[in-house]
Amino acid sequence: IGLSDTAVMDMMISNLQQQRQVTEQLRREAAIKRISVSQAVLDIMKYITEHEQEDCLLVGFSSQKANPFREKSSCTLL
Amino acid sequence: MASDGEFKAHSPGETIEALTKEAEALKAKLEEERQKLNDVALSTVAERLEVINYLNIKPRRVLKGHQAKVLCSDWSPDKRHIVSSSQDGKMIIWDAFTTNKEHAVTMPTTWVMACAYAPSGNLVACGGLDNKVTVYPLSLEEDVSTKKKTVGTHTSYMSCCTFPNSDQQILTGSGDSTCALWDVESGQLLQNFHGHAGDVMALDLAPSETGNTFVSGSCDRMVLIWDMRTGQCVQSFEGHQSDINSVKFHPSGDAVATGSDDSTCRLFDLRADKEVAIYSKESIIFGVNSVDFSVSGRLLFAGYNDYTVNVWDSLKCIRVTLLYGHENRVSCLQVSPDGTALSTGSWDYTLRVWA
Repeated sequence: IGLSDTAVMDMMISNLQQQRQVTEQLRREAAIKRISVSQAVLDIMKYITEHEQEDCLLVGFSSQKANPFREKSSCTLL
Repeated sequence: MASDGEFKAHSPGETIEALTKEAEALKAKLEEERQKLNDVALSTVAERLEVINYLNIKPRRVLKGHQAKVLCSDWSPDKRHIVSSSQDGKMIIWDAFTTNKEHAVTMPTTWVMACAYAPSGNLVACGGLDNKVTVYPLSLEEDVSTKKKTVGTHTSYMSCCTFPNSDQQILTGSGDSTCALWDVESGQLLQNFHGHAGDVMALDLAPSETGNTFVSGSCDRMVLIWDMRTGQCVQSFEGHQSDINSVKFHPSGDAVATGSDDSTCRLFDLRADKEVAIYSKESIIFGVNSVDFSVSGRLLFAGYNDYTVNVWDSLKCIRVTLLYGHENRVSCLQVSPDGTALSTGSWDYTLRVWA
């Protein structure tokens, strides 16, 4: 193809740098401390159960009057 | 001249071959470690919970005013106002209680793909095909456009933006495959996030108790978790079979949900470091554009290209109900800050509020 020596060396350096970055990223990820799915899931379930009562879309409102988006009652101006 | 791709770097083991081999070994090790801890399915653990029988979620408001597809929306921290942006080049601020339009700003670009409220509620940001993120201080006295300020520019469209902690910084995601953190006042680029191999389509901040991280989703099908201070990717997840359009942290901060063109939503747990749930049905074949959790995290709302919103039980991994009403794709949805309502935006030019 006729690339000069310096151009080929530049490509090799950048390929090396790229591969180094990829490998370093994988080293970091492999070093992460993981917990079991069963433990992780229990923790999520615990959070959800603790907050369920505040979740209006889930449990609704005690009365529709408390819903800020309730249907506006019809008023007539006399 | 070195041959066979061998180039002597700083340390002897660092040839391309050695690094590539190590990378392959690390990938295999990662898969093995994740599988070792994969001791149960989420839906199995959730069997002991009661089924959600009934949800009283009804359409309560229709916000009409845009003259083209609604692309993005964001609730104000005051739980009452909504900012929306559209392909018609307009950004509108609505009072969701009354449906009144309080401001309408014309952008110099069409396809305003992203918009966001600042934590104070006094500032909004938006941008899109102009590659920029511009902030607008909201004022009742003068035209909102007069004090506008361009904060940052990407080399491709801006797909998403959010204010991390204050009105002073803004985080953006772009079609140029990067995310960026900007100082609003000076417009300075504070941090760059490189790692995706395709357009970044969505991002979300970790709930504040859990620190300075955020998640991004991309057309490269990857979900990446970033440290905002160092710019480093700290965790990555794969699994989706097509573009990821939406990412949201579970309110606990321990997991992220995603929505994709592959018609599924998934849940990735950060501490187990793997996908723990997939929300799909054979009958659902259209892409998901947007996802959000209810306040407790039990419900996952997802907006689809088939015009519907599917409401999933995030633990039992079954669909609880469908919300019908839009007459075209649901492009964006968001639960209000106090969890009392859900807003949806659509290609049918409207936004709807459900509660």
